[in-house]
Amino acid sequence: MTKYWRSLDELNNPVEFKQNEVKLELDAKRAVMKKASGSSRRDFLKTFGFSVAAAAVVASCKRPVDKAIPYLVKPEEVTPGMANYYASSYFEANEYCSVLVKVRDGRPIKIEGNDLSSVSQKGTSARVQASVLDLYDDARFKTPLKRGEATNWEEVDSYITKKLEQLNSDNKKVVLLTSSIISPTTKKVIAGFQEKYSNVEWVKYDAVSASGILEANQQSFGTALIPDYRFERAKVIASFGADFLGTWLSSTEYTKAYAAGRRVLDKGDEMSRHYQFESGMTLTGSNADVRVPIKPSEEKTILTALYYQLLQAKGFMTIAAPGSPVDVTGLAEDLLANEGKSLVISGSNDVNIQLIVNAINNLLGNYGSTILFDRTLNTHQAIDAEFEKVFARLKNKEIAGVLCWGVNPVYNHPKGQELKELISGAELSVSFSDRKDETTAACHWVCPAPHYLEAWNDAEPKKGLFSLSQPTISKLFDSRQVQETLLKWAGEEQPNYYELLKANWEENFTGLQSKYSDSRLFWNDALQKGVFETEIIAEAPVYSENGLENALQLGGAESQGWEIVFYQSVALKDGSSANNPWLQELPDPVAKISWDNFAAVPVKWAEENGLQNESVITINGIEMPVFVQPGQAPGTISVALGYGREVAGKVGDGVGKNMYALASIQNNAKQLWLGGADVQTTTKTFELALSQTHHSMEGRPIVRETNFDKWLLDPASGNEIREEHLEHHVSMYPEQEFKGHHWAMAVDLGSCVGCGNCSISCQAENNVQVIGKEQVRNRRIMHWIRIDRYFSNDAENPDVYHQPVMCQHCDNAPCENVCPVSATPHSEEGLNQMAYNRCVGTKYCVNNCPYKVRRFNWFQYVQNPEFDYASNSDLGRMVLNPDVTVRSRGVVEKCSFCVQRIQEKKAEAKVAGRMLKDGEVQPACVQSCPADALVFGDVNDPKSKINKLFKNERNYHLLEELHTLPSVGYLTKVRNKKA
Amino acid sequence: MREHFFRGSFMKKTQIFISLFAFVTCILLSNNLYADSTESVVTDGHSHAEVKRGERFFKGLLPFDRNYSSCVSCHNLNQVDTLNWNPSAMDIAMKFVDKDFEAFQASVMNPVGVKMEASHVNFNISEEDLKTVKIYLDDLVHTGTPVPKPTHYNLILFLFLGLLITWAVVELIFIRKIKLKFIPLIILLGAFGWQVKMIVTDAIKLGRQENYAPDQPIKFSHKVHAGENGIDCMYCHTTVEQSKSAGIPATNLCMNCHILIREGTNSGKFEIAKVVDAAENGHSIEWKRIHNLPDHVYFSHAVHVGSGKLDCMQCHGPVDEMDIMQQHSDLSMGWCVNCHRDTEVDFGNNGYYEHYVKLHEELKSGAIDSVKAVDIGANDCMRCHY
Repeated sequence: MTKYWRSLDELNNPVEFKQNEVKLELDAKRAVMKKASGSSRRDFLKTFGFSVAAAAVVASCKRPVDKAIPYLVKPEEVTPGMANYYASSYFEANEYCSVLVKVRDGRPIKIEGNDLSSVSQKGTSARVQASVLDLYDDARFKTPLKRGEATNWEEVDSYITKKLEQLNSDNKKVVLLTSSIISPTTKKVIAGFQEKYSNVEWVKYDAVSASGILEANQQSFGTALIPDYRFERAKVIASFGADFLGTWLSSTEYTKAYAAGRRVLDKGDEMSRHYQFESGMTLTGSNADVRVPIKPSEEKTILTALYYQLLQAKGFMTIAAPGSPVDVTGLAEDLLANEGKSLVISGSNDVNIQLIVNAINNLLGNYGSTILFDRTLNTHQAIDAEFEKVFARLKNKEIAGVLCWGVNPVYNHPKGQELKELISGAELSVSFSDRKDETTAACHWVCPAPHYLEAWNDAEPKKGLFSLSQPTISKLFDSRQVQETLLKWAGEEQPNYYELLKANWEENFTGLQSKYSDSRLFWNDALQKGVFETEIIAEAPVYSENGLENALQLGGAESQGWEIVFYQSVALKDGSSANNPWLQELPDPVAKISWDNFAAVPVKWAEENGLQNESVITINGIEMPVFVQPGQAPGTISVALGYGREVAGKVGDGVGKNMYALASIQNNAKQLWLGGADVQTTTKTFELALSQTHHSMEGRPIVRETNFDKWLLDPASGNEIREEHLEHHVSMYPEQEFKGHHWAMAVDLGSCVGCGNCSISCQAENNVQVIGKEQVRNRRIMHWIRIDRYFSNDAENPDVYHQPVMCQHCDNAPCENVCPVSATPHSEEGLNQMAYNRCVGTKYCVNNCPYKVRRFNWFQYVQNPEFDYASNSDLGRMVLNPDVTVRSRGVVEKCSFCVQRIQEKKAEAKVAGRMLKDGEVQPACVQSCPADALVFGDVNDPKSKINKLFKNERNYHLLEELHTLPSVGYLTKVRNKKA
Repeated sequence: MREHFFRGSFMKKTQIFISLFAFVTCILLSNNLYADSTESVVTDGHSHAEVKRGERFFKGLLPFDRNYSSCVSCHNLNQVDTLNWNPSAMDIAMKFVDKDFEAFQASVMNPVGVKMEASHVNFNISEEDLKTVKIYLDDLVHTGTPVPKPTHYNLILFLFLGLLITWAVVELIFIRKIKLKFIPLIILLGAFGWQVKMIVTDAIKLGRQENYAPDQPIKFSHKVHAGENGIDCMYCHTTVEQSKSAGIPATNLCMNCHILIREGTNSGKFEIAKVVDAAENGHSIEWKRIHNLPDHVYFSHAVHVGSGKLDCMQCHGPVDEMDIMQQHSDLSMGWCVNCHRDTEVDFGNNGYYEHYVKLHEELKSGAIDSVKAVDIGANDCMRCHY
């Protein structure tokens, strides 16, 4: 049997590890006891006496008088107590997602995926889910600011308009610096603004750009566009450092497609094979069938070798292919066997690498099949070189004014500090940011924009796929849409972006469809659906070998000593939402560390130098805590970007270290790796909030796996032990009979990529509280659905497993029997219930749960200044779901299968007098899973999807041998390694 | 014997001292509570005497020789438990606080509306007197009406029982004057038992508000609307079949009728004018919420009325007889659970219940004769608590 391990300590010294773990546990317990023993028995009696007295006094008081204030005029669409869903579009940090916003009594409280969008296809990411909390962020600007002091829009407008006019007449340049803009109407507004002020230049800047791909495609195809990658059509996927499931380009869309191309449930299903060449262990690499650790400097050499091997095999070249640091013959064979059905991508920002990738894809005939140029991706438009020019001109005082919109180069440009001086030294510096950030702090004027949930907008994330954003709440603060601000400065008296947007759509988009002849009907329909998708017939651009020869000849980068790889973390991405406590507390999908970035170092080097997790090393003088990362390529260290914010707000300030400073500008593009770094070990340590050694499964067959070829022969392969377990299912007690529904969930471990979307979705839905770094270290993380990560095999390059674990809703639940106050009984529908107001906090259930899914409220996490995250202010608490109790200190909580959603849909069906449809009830985690790995339903319904999955040969239950009869089933992990 | 006596008298003194102390403290405390409210703030340049005179006039103490009834005989100072349809002094004060004397005078002396015309006849009040009334009313807005002292019958009884217990114990152990020992013993046990019963009933009632009937900002009578005029509950509480909340009608819904009906048989024009004012000037009517479930309880009207077809009055009582709306049921968990045990589910006529294949089979085979709410899990914890 494969040996699974959770950390290197466990792999190398299992006995010692176990002892250590027990010791740690004891220490933690002692620490708690110590804290508790601060008060003696006498104190207890005193307190008891006082509280009885207090209770008596309180009891004699009257209950407070509640008010019931009705609407003056009830809006037609609002029903108190029922949620409305509005379609909208998320676009932040170059990530697009079409969403439905759940609005309850006037407050947006939850983001759901929009299934009408062919881009995000009902999926979301953790960042999209968490964006609703950004709306209620205390770090948002409440008014416009003038040099840090509150001011009003009249003053802002009169000063800046005058200044702009003056600069224009003096012919001094002003730069409008924005991130990629995908809104067609906004582009028009900017064009109008430039028309009025001819001295305004529009330059785009993305923190992590795709300028390598854009420039390579400019050379190869004559168009600087990002093509449409179709992962579901590819039989072989080869990714060179592109974390396409986590952060690369359009990751939610790619996750959907990737999972679809690998789902094997019934006979005849096929599965793609995924090769990943990368340095650090990314989310994508952890899902790969074949993962090859490489140095970033080797990437080009390997791609060159691969290209020549392919040429050779196709008979285009007779001389021997150049050598490669890693063997690529296997990949070349697979690619050749699947010509036109393969996909080669690279995450590099080096135009030469991208040119070779283009050449390989062209050679394999992938253009037109897996890579299409009809629906090109618009989310990454910035060319790094453009910004570098602006930088140089700022330095030469050629630019007098800077208008910053959605960009934070002071933080995320390697020369941020210099830039800060330049911006604050400019004649006019304006920021449109909605909340605090480093660049805004350097600007003289702040003209806050509303959050996207308060604003109108449109988007064209991919060519011909349009969508709309609409306000779901009145503006919380004195903000104004940037478009309106620009219109105002351009001379419009009463700018109204909504009218402009509507007019633009009605005029220009109505003709693109034939369903509605009346443009108003078309507008209403588009607004209701959130998306409007047009048919496109585009001619595929012709490939040319422009620049390829040069790229091949240049050879690989010199490898000199340590190579540091900077990657975007799955939770924080480029760092723009660093003040979001949900994202800060989301453990990294691979390292399982929250609240910090860290240096992922190779196992062997760590062993040789006596480094462990939480040791501290310095990288070019920056101290970083170490995480010994299995699978880290030798000679490389990976560090996440997005941390180390200085002006983000109370949550994000000072969390981790800013690594953008070490990124380099080469070939006029930001390269996210650094060669020849100076790495020194120190004797210091730094505490990390590791959740890795939480939740031990004690080496039992928790994750079961098989390989695709074995599955073809026997669908139950890897799951043989189940038969034995089922044979031993004997009980003295009668099994509970479920006469109506029997709710159950299936988790396809083959599809789940471990992105963490479910954790945050659940957090938003169920009012799960953020507890902070110290409490995470104390193993008290509150997530109702966690994703366990296991390693197996080789520590240098392990196989990785992601397993979402939530309450298993056992029909023979060990937790239920031990509750002394009957606070957790079983329901008639198979739910393991938790009555908070009955719970007295003995934690017997927590201890008796074999899955360790129960969470205890060690403290009051709401309205407690000690936990100053989101729930300590009235503003932050606006995100709470009114249908779910906010738990207080001293009670146990856990996954409820989103019982509020079950009840809501049941009530709807009952009132309508109809049966529930399969798939109508969807818990928060299931609704927006980008990989469709979770399925929920009524297992008593023989036609339901869940019923079929439970009968699938791959299905098994966790710790089935304990006869807990869980209602959650897991489908075995299937990989597609070469036999 | 002497020693006994001494000890006895000592105990008695201590006892008396404690009782006295408690009594005095109680009195002092209760006086403290209301010390402020009797003080009248002199406002708008009017003297204390003018305010006092206005108050006396309002309450019918001045003038002695009049042939019309005093203001207070129709207008309560504040709203009280029994429904007095006429606006209270506070209501009037609030209405006229921002208006000048002429408006007030016109309203009193030249009444409009059937009801007011009938009651304000023969009013020959001098302008001087009326001015002081206006002054008194303006003052009332600032000071508020005196809060009636709460009567603590229960507390007094509880303390009295405590005294009885103390006496009985002292009698049994020290004094021993009563030969028949069972008398103090019975008194002791009886008093103690009564005290326990009081504590238990009060503890159970904690947080419950059966019969809660607060004064509302508008004297809205369900009896008039639902009873006498026979308006269907759902005409106003529109969302009861779809939402968890039955819905308090928006003010514009009131105006559907009150756009025309501006005078009521009982209240005249005054109360309806408040609704019209709210609708026209965009104020919210701040009703006091009567049925308050704790935050950890989820209750859905939709399921009970929309699907369960329960009659509103089953839980809310004879609303059509209530001038002042009050909480009819105690809304305790026991009350919910018991109803779930007894209530039959309309199993045949609602398509949703086709999910319950087994129960349908059992019904058909005669194994069970009916399906109660509890049989489909109505008493599961997570039906209401999540």
